[in-house]
Amino acid sequence: MATREGPDDGQENTGPRPVDPTPWRRTPASGRRGQSPARPHRPIPPQPAARRYTAPSDNSAEKTQVFAPVGNSAEETQVFAPVKGGTATKERPGPAPLGRGGVAIRTAGELLITMGLIVLLFMVYELYVTDLFSAGKQSEASDQLNGEWSHDRTLHPELVDGRAFARIHIPTFGVDYNFTIQEGTDDVSLEVGPGHYKGTSLPGEPGNFAVAGHRVGKGAPFNDLDNLSSCDQIVIETSTDFYVYKVLPYDDEVDDWTTGKGADPKCKGVSTLRDPNAENGGAYSDTFGRKVVLPSEGTAVNPVPYKPAEVLPKAQQVALLTLTTCHPQFSARQRLIITSVLTQQVPKSQAPNYTDLLPKIGEAR
Amino acid sequence: MYAWIWHKLPGPFAAKLTLSVVLALGVIALLMFVVFPWLEPRLWFNEVAVN
Repeated sequence: MATREGPDDGQENTGPRPVDPTPWRRTPASGRRGQSPARPHRPIPPQPAARRYTAPSDNSAEKTQVFAPVGNSAEETQVFAPVKGGTATKERPGPAPLGRGGVAIRTAGELLITMGLIVLLFMVYELYVTDLFSAGKQSEASDQLNGEWSHDRTLHPELVDGRAFARIHIPTFGVDYNFTIQEGTDDVSLEVGPGHYKGTSLPGEPGNFAVAGHRVGKGAPFNDLDNLSSCDQIVIETSTDFYVYKVLPYDDEVDDWTTGKGADPKCKGVSTLRDPNAENGGAYSDTFGRKVVLPSEGTAVNPVPYKPAEVLPKAQQVALLTLTTCHPQFSARQRLIITSVLTQQVPKSQAPNYTDLLPKIGEAR
Repeated sequence: MYAWIWHKLPGPFAAKLTLSVVLALGVIALLMFVVFPWLEPRLWFNEVAVN
């Protein structure tokens, strides 16, 4: 080896290297591991590409670099043994020839990449894994609700925090769209499915039956709430009845409701709730089918939305259903509020199941 | 960091590979089942209610 090495080293740039069929086999043996201490003293340093890897010392680790830099490619010095014309030879990377600073920079880079991966993983968790967790809880809650309903048909169920007491169906989102509604809007309740604002009315009652639900992750029950349009039906199922609500007119539809969309048979029972005799339309002047409000707008779930509780006596209040979720999607900057009005009540004696109800309320089965 | 871990892993290449896969899965499971569920309620984008 040593004999071959001499001439080879002497004319590394110009000579036999390019024609050698297996330069990578030879290079480690010839130069890498301190084979020839004499090598650094050869007249190679003047090469422009040597840079900091040219180590004219006895340090064997650095010797690798000395005969590597050739031609015009400085970057290749470390791993490749470049030859004229840019043909690089592959080598198994040896111990990293990094200094303390290099190691620090590499570690910092690795940490940053790792943090990026963790953030990505968190997104996966939020969007998909929480769905899986919630699906399990939702099906448990649904089974439990079915069990309770099958042997106990009390008119007004006892509301226990986090326990399901009703079910929501939205035919527009498909026949099998249904979620149980839990009591309370805390994290535990909302993880199972939509949650009932404590203290607001119950299904079918005058006032405002208000329900919050996740829009992203955790089953995302209210993911498509912005796809609802006025007069779309929302069905609330309790142990005894189905309550059919219809989404109220949107703000651009209110003015010509009776002649416009309100004339559609599918909008039967839906009015603007405006009082023609009152100045600004009466108590429900701020109520629309769809509204985007600030998170602090707690009045959205008042018995008369956006109005103080005492604006109307309970007997005169309309039975409303309000759904709230975050808006825009993936953000918590605002809230999307969908308000609907009770148009029909179907006892379960007439329609034992939701599938029996659908034809009755004009939804294609 | 990763190079250091790789060097610390015992055994031949196959053993190192298996161990590192197991380690990575363990870290992912720890994140998914412990860290993220703990972290999530402390973040803001799960708020869907008005108050």
